[in-house]
Amino acid sequence: MNPLIFTTILMTVLLGTMIVMMSSHWLMIWIGFEMNLLAIIPILMKKYNPRTMEASTKYFLTQATASMLLMMAIIINLMHSGQWTIMKVFNPTASIIMTSALAMKLGLTPFHFWVPEVTQGISLTSGLILLTWQKLAPMSILYQISPSINLNILLTMAVLSILVGGWGGLNQTQLRKIMAYSSIAHMGWMTAVLAYNPTLTMLNMLIYIMMTLTMFMLFIHSSSTTTLSLSHTWNKTPLTTTLILITLLSMGGLPPLSGFMPKWMIIQELTKNSSIILPTLMAIMALLNLYFYMRLTYSTSLTMFPSTNNMKMKWQFETKRITLLPPLIVMSSLLLPLTPMLSILD
Amino acid sequence: MMTYIVFILSVIFVISFVGFSSKPSPIYGGLVLIVSGGVGCGIIMNFGGSFLGLMVFLIYLGGMLVVFGYTTAMATEQYPEVWVSNTTVMGVFLLGLLMEVMLVLYVLKSEEVGVVFKFSGVGDWAIYDTGDSEVFSEEIMGVAALYSYGAWVVIVTGWSLLVGVLVILEVTRGD
Repeated sequence: MNPLIFTTILMTVLLGTMIVMMSSHWLMIWIGFEMNLLAIIPILMKKYNPRTMEASTKYFLTQATASMLLMMAIIINLMHSGQWTIMKVFNPTASIIMTSALAMKLGLTPFHFWVPEVTQGISLTSGLILLTWQKLAPMSILYQISPSINLNILLTMAVLSILVGGWGGLNQTQLRKIMAYSSIAHMGWMTAVLAYNPTLTMLNMLIYIMMTLTMFMLFIHSSSTTTLSLSHTWNKTPLTTTLILITLLSMGGLPPLSGFMPKWMIIQELTKNSSIILPTLMAIMALLNLYFYMRLTYSTSLTMFPSTNNMKMKWQFETKRITLLPPLIVMSSLLLPLTPMLSILD
Repeated sequence: MMTYIVFILSVIFVISFVGFSSKPSPIYGGLVLIVSGGVGCGIIMNFGGSFLGLMVFLIYLGGMLVVFGYTTAMATEQYPEVWVSNTTVMGVFLLGLLMEVMLVLYVLKSEEVGVVFKFSGVGDWAIYDTGDSEVFSEEIMGVAALYSYGAWVVIVTGWSLLVGVLVILEVTRGD
């Protein structure tokens, strides 16, 4: 793609999300979402094969439907409150419709079906942008309307998302689909605590973005999109096998790595609000997530995965230099002692 | 009839939307879009927005739809699909028409309609003058406000249109 046009389109993606996060008028938020959607389509379609076109079409259709639902909720809110300012949505109909629209944008169950298919059809870098940056805008709106969201719907979607994210990822060998299901599960964790303490949603979002960025960059560094291909990294860059191990265990939520921080805080907040069964179920279902992360680490760093001899040498012209990778790896594994600093997110 | 003109125009609006949503060939979709654009213009004009109605005709129908018609005419097939040529298209159109007729009867008969939100019968569509801005028309003041207080909206929409063109060029360019 022409570099100038690519820069313009990337800046528009950023601008769209910024407009969503900074506006006080519901119409501007809708405009921001549409601008974001419009500009990310050519980024998803960077390579011109039918796969990417199908993935972009699916993404566009689901997100456009979600934007339409969001507009309907905005208009119902306007009819009943007479104003356009962003605040909690007082009318229950508008609140439910808006929650469904934002759940469709995030990829929460029962609107999660597009996430694995779209993530699989696009390149690793586009998948990175899709699973991290695109989650910021809907989550910021959910944060702003959080006092008025129907708790039953929210918690149902959250728990089902954690279940689907864990269960659906079990049968996958393609790394992008694994990251997609991990994204669904993490979104479930984020929305579960939204009604109780939205600061923890922001904390979980921060840690999730760091870990997902790290994982995708490690995949890009070793140019691997399948488990088998990832298992050959011991031959090319043995250091990254250890880093993959640490980051994946952090994503699974194991102490003393930083992925444990959001899960710990969320479970603590939920139990403080006298719900015991819910966090127990969530913690148990997070084990499904941990299982397929551990399978990845087993095949990558803990064993020399069986393959034919000519596949053992990976052919690559030059090592990609990813400047941001070391700080990201450090942040996604060693942040746990900084837990008291989450008060800055208030 | 004039008190319920907005209601009648809204019904024709919905029917023409059903007409192109039942997916005949794009040429016929464009034909129905002309009708729906004209009827939408009528609805806006009945609320006193003469400027915006003329804007719909000029820019939407006279600009965008003309370009759409030309591009569709370049890409059309030898026997384009009409509503009656394909059973599926006709079925969807009749289904949409049936649902609209049932909804209209429901609205006409009952005092209050509560589908997603409440309409109080047909009265909501009648024109009554409640605006007390007698000196300046509200709608032309809105357009003026767009270019003064709403400068940010103009910038954002202008940028979106530019990026829309770039995106479409990028997507259709291929390799």
